[in-house]
Amino acid sequence: MRAPRADRELPAPWQVPACLPRWSRNEERGRTNASRHTDPAGAAESADGTEPDARFTLANERTFLAWSRTALALVAAGLAIVQLLPPFPGIPWGRHIIGTPLILLGSAVAVISYLEWAGNQRALRRGEPMARSRLPGLLAVTIAITGLVAAALALLSG
Amino acid sequence: MTPAEDIEDTHPGLARERTELAWTRTAVSFAALGGLILRGHPYAGIPILGVSALIWQLGRLAAAPGAGRSRPRRLLLITVAVTGVSVAALALTLIGPEPGGLRL
Repeated sequence: MRAPRADRELPAPWQVPACLPRWSRNEERGRTNASRHTDPAGAAESADGTEPDARFTLANERTFLAWSRTALALVAAGLAIVQLLPPFPGIPWGRHIIGTPLILLGSAVAVISYLEWAGNQRALRRGEPMARSRLPGLLAVTIAITGLVAAALALLSG
Repeated sequence: MTPAEDIEDTHPGLARERTELAWTRTAVSFAALGGLILRGHPYAGIPILGVSALIWQLGRLAAAPGAGRSRPRRLLLITVAVTGVSVAALALTLIGPEPGGLRL
């Protein structure tokens, strides 16, 4: 998959084609170019690709926020299972076996989503293809295993 | 490309508005969790509600004109907050008092 950039139409990194809207030329690109000539931080940034269209930066940010909410929901679910669920008869650690993996998964999703956000932002700057996310697979496998364990506990504790 | 091919080209504010709404949803998620925890553990719930208010405020900045560059530190705040809540939940789960379960 290719990063959604308008690179092909760009004659040079500092020129934006006329088909793109005026706001992307004036605000984002203009400010970036100005900072390149003034502050050293801007110059260092220009060595690592060019500032992408603001819409791609914002979309990347929304993706990160959506994963963060997923992480928070996983932590809340794990906490609720341990704290609110009645104990399994005969299996004192039953609730912990289901809840702890969900809390750990929430923690992992929070950290990995930030790393993937940073990787996507770097890919956007350089015009490289974005790496495939590992989060859907991790989420699917962990939730599937947790579900199987919960089913086994429900059957065993009867 | 015709001018009206992509509505985002004529209304660039929509992307910012979606982003602000995403920040607001995140803040509401934190507030919901903080409010739930507040009942049993007030000292853990109040900081989470504080983080929620901070995220709400950051979301309003996300929609400000000229916003559109990457902001790693603001996003790192979210990651640190979620990880902190997770570690606290883990500590409560593993070394906290044995929970009795919800009595309805």
